[in-house]
Amino acid sequence: MIRKSGLLIFLVMLAVLLALVYVFAGFATRLGMVYTLEKAAGAEVNIDKVGISLAPLAIDIRGLQITDKDQPTHNSVSFARARAALEVWPALLGYYVVNDLSLDGLEFGSERRRPGKVYRGENTSAEEQIDLSQMLRLDIPNVDELLARINLQSIEKGQVLREQIAGQKDQLSGVKDKLPERETLDDLEAQIKALTQSKVENAANLATKAEQLKKLQDTLRQERDKVRQAKDELAQMRTGLVQAVAEVRAAGEADWRRLKELANIQDGGLAPLSQILLGNFWGEKIAQLETLYRLVRPYIPAEGGKGAEETAVAEPVLPNRILPLPYQPYPDFLIRNASVQWLVAGGEAQVRVQNITTQHAIIDAPTTFNVNVDKMPRLAAFTLSGDFAVRGNMTTNVKWDMQGMLIDGFALGSGDNRLQLHAGLLASDGSLKLVDRTVAQQAALVLQQPQFTASGNRYMEQLADLLSRQGQIPLQLKAAGEISRPEVSVRSPLDKVIGDALLGEAREKLAAVETQLRQQLDKTLSEQLGDESGWLATLDQQGADLDGIDKEIEAMLNAKLADVTSGVKDRIKDSLLKRREE
Amino acid sequence: MLTLFARILKVLNSEDSPWQIGWAVGFGVLAGLLPFGLLTILMLLLVCFFTINLSTFLLVWGVCGGLMLIFGDPLEALTWQYAQNPVFLEVLASTESLQLLHFHHTLVLGAFLLGLFLLLPLAWLTAFFVTQYRLRIMAQMRKWKVVQVLKASKLVQIYEKLS
Repeated sequence: MIRKSGLLIFLVMLAVLLALVYVFAGFATRLGMVYTLEKAAGAEVNIDKVGISLAPLAIDIRGLQITDKDQPTHNSVSFARARAALEVWPALLGYYVVNDLSLDGLEFGSERRRPGKVYRGENTSAEEQIDLSQMLRLDIPNVDELLARINLQSIEKGQVLREQIAGQKDQLSGVKDKLPERETLDDLEAQIKALTQSKVENAANLATKAEQLKKLQDTLRQERDKVRQAKDELAQMRTGLVQAVAEVRAAGEADWRRLKELANIQDGGLAPLSQILLGNFWGEKIAQLETLYRLVRPYIPAEGGKGAEETAVAEPVLPNRILPLPYQPYPDFLIRNASVQWLVAGGEAQVRVQNITTQHAIIDAPTTFNVNVDKMPRLAAFTLSGDFAVRGNMTTNVKWDMQGMLIDGFALGSGDNRLQLHAGLLASDGSLKLVDRTVAQQAALVLQQPQFTASGNRYMEQLADLLSRQGQIPLQLKAAGEISRPEVSVRSPLDKVIGDALLGEAREKLAAVETQLRQQLDKTLSEQLGDESGWLATLDQQGADLDGIDKEIEAMLNAKLADVTSGVKDRIKDSLLKRREE
Repeated sequence: MLTLFARILKVLNSEDSPWQIGWAVGFGVLAGLLPFGLLTILMLLLVCFFTINLSTFLLVWGVCGGLMLIFGDPLEALTWQYAQNPVFLEVLASTESLQLLHFHHTLVLGAFLLGLFLLLPLAWLTAFFVTQYRLRIMAQMRKWKVVQVLKASKLVQIYEKLS
C-alpha cells in the first residue's frame, strides 16, 4: 500500500512547482499587471521588470508607467521602483500582511520617452471629473444661492405639517361618522320627555317606566361616551397641530439664524467681504474631499461607514469569503509601513504611512500618515499629518502647515464683480476632521503681498486698491456639515476696515441682501404654514359643537331623571298623607 | 483526445488494482474541487506516499479543476450560510492549523467537505466499474472484429507506444 519512492516523487513535483514559480511567476505577474492596468486605464502600460523572491516573500516592480489617455505624451502615474515584502505566516493563513512597502520616484504627469498607445476614449463620468475653471469660478452669491446652500429645515417641517393636516382631515371625517345623529338625540329626548311626564299609576307601572328610563339612559350614556371619545381625539389633533406649527415656526427662526451666520449679516446689513468673496470658493474646495471619500468607500467593509450604495462590477473569478471569526489574528489586508518618494513640482515629497488597512479594530491602531515637502521652487515648506480609522464609522483627522506658496494669478468672480489676483504668497495651517461624510475644519490663511486689480465696477476697483495696499490679508476659515454641502464661514480682521472704507454702495447692496433674505424666508415660512390657522379654527369649531352635544346629553340624563323621582316621591307622599288622615 | 482515451484504456488494462484507480479518482476529484493551496499539496503527498494510481489522479485533477467555475458560486453561498455556527467559528478562530489549511475560507471549506463526501462513493463506484470492465468487457472486447480492426489503427499504435 505504501509507495517506497512516493516521498521522492512528491519532492520532485514540489521542486518543479517551486522552480516554475521562481522562473515564471515574475513574468506571469508582469503580464497580468499590464493586462489589468491597461484594462483599467484604457491606455498603454509599461513595466520594465517584475521580480518575485521566495525568501523573503517579496515582489519588486521596476519602471512602471501608465499612459495618460488624454495626453499620450505623458504618464498619468509612474514610478521607478516599488517593493513589497509579504509576511509568510499570515500569508499561509490567508491574510495579506505587507511589512514594508516602498515606492520610489512616484510622479504624476511625467513626460514619456515616446507617446503611449490609447485604447479607450473618455471613460470617466462627468461627475468624477474636476473642472479647474469651474473650481476657481466665483460670484458674489445672491439670495437664492444663499437659500439654496442652507438646507431649510422649515420646508421639511412644513411638509410634515401639511401631511399631518391631510391626515387629520381624514381622521375628522371618521370621527364625525361615529357621532350620534341629531335625529337620534331628538328622538331620545322626546322619549324621555314622554316617559317622565306621564303619570305613574302604580308600583308595577313605576317599575316598568324605571326600566324603560334605564334603557334610554344606557343608550344616552353610550352616545355620551362616543362624544367624549371624539372630544379626546379632537383635543389630541389640536395639540399635535399646535406642536407641528410651533416646530415650523421654530425651524423658520433657526433657518434665519443659520442664514445670518452664513452671510454674517450684522447690524446695519453690512456683511464681511471675505465671506462673500471666499465662502463659496472654500465650500467647493471642501466638497472635493468627497472625491476622496468615493475613492476610499469601496474598500471599506460593509459594517464600517455608511451609504454602501455603490455596487462593484462582478468579475469572472472564483468566489471566496473569509468567515466572520469571533477574532482574527490579522486584518484581511494590512501594510505595516509604507514609504513613498513623490517627485512633484520640481521637488520631492516624502510620504510615510503606517498600518494601512480598513479593519483598524483588529490591530487596535489607526492608519497614520505624514507628508513632508520642502525646497520646492514654488513652495517653501509643507507638512501634513493625520490618521484614519474605520471602526464604528470612518474617521479622518488631518493637520497641515504650509509656508510660502507662490500663487499664480487667478480671478475671483466674473463680469463686473471680477477681482484679479496677479501674485501673492500663501501660508496656511489648520486641521480637518472627517467623520463619514461630516466635515469639521478650521484653517488660518495668510495671503502675503497680494496684488489685486479690478475693472468695470467702482466698488470692485476700490476694493482691489485697498486689498493691494495690505501687507498681508489674514483669513480664518471654518467649514462644518455634510461634506458635499459644507457650511463655510470665512472671517478676516480686515473685514471691518474694508467695510468702513467701502461704505455706501457696498453697504446698500449688502443691506438689500439681508432684506431680501428675510422676505424670502418669510414667504417660504408662510407657504409652509399654509392654511394651518383655518384648520385650527375648524378643529376649535368642531370641539365647541361636541361640547354642546355633551352638555345636552348630560342635561337629558340629569334633569329628566330628577323629574321622574320627584314625581314618584310626591305621589308616595300624597298616598301616605291620605292614609294618615284616614 | 486520442491520447487521453489511450491513457484511460492503459489505466483500465493495467495491473493496478481497481481500488488504486478508485482512490485516484476520488482524490483527483477532491484536489480538483479545492483551490490550489497547502491542502492540495498535502493531498499530493498522500497520493504519492500510498500506491494510488498517479496518472489517474493527475488526469482527474485536471479535468475537475474546471468544475468549480460552474459550481463555485452556489457551493460558496451554501457554505457561507451553514458554516456560521458560533461553536465552529470559535474552533476555527482558536486553531491556527485549521486556518493554515484555509478552512476559514468559504470556498476551501465547502469544496473540501463536498470532496470528502464524494471520496468514498466515487472510489467504490470506480473500483466497481473497473472490476466489471475487467471481468465482463475487456476479455470479450479483445475477441470483437472491430477491436481487431482497431488494433491496426492509429489509436492502438499510440497505445502501444505508451506501453
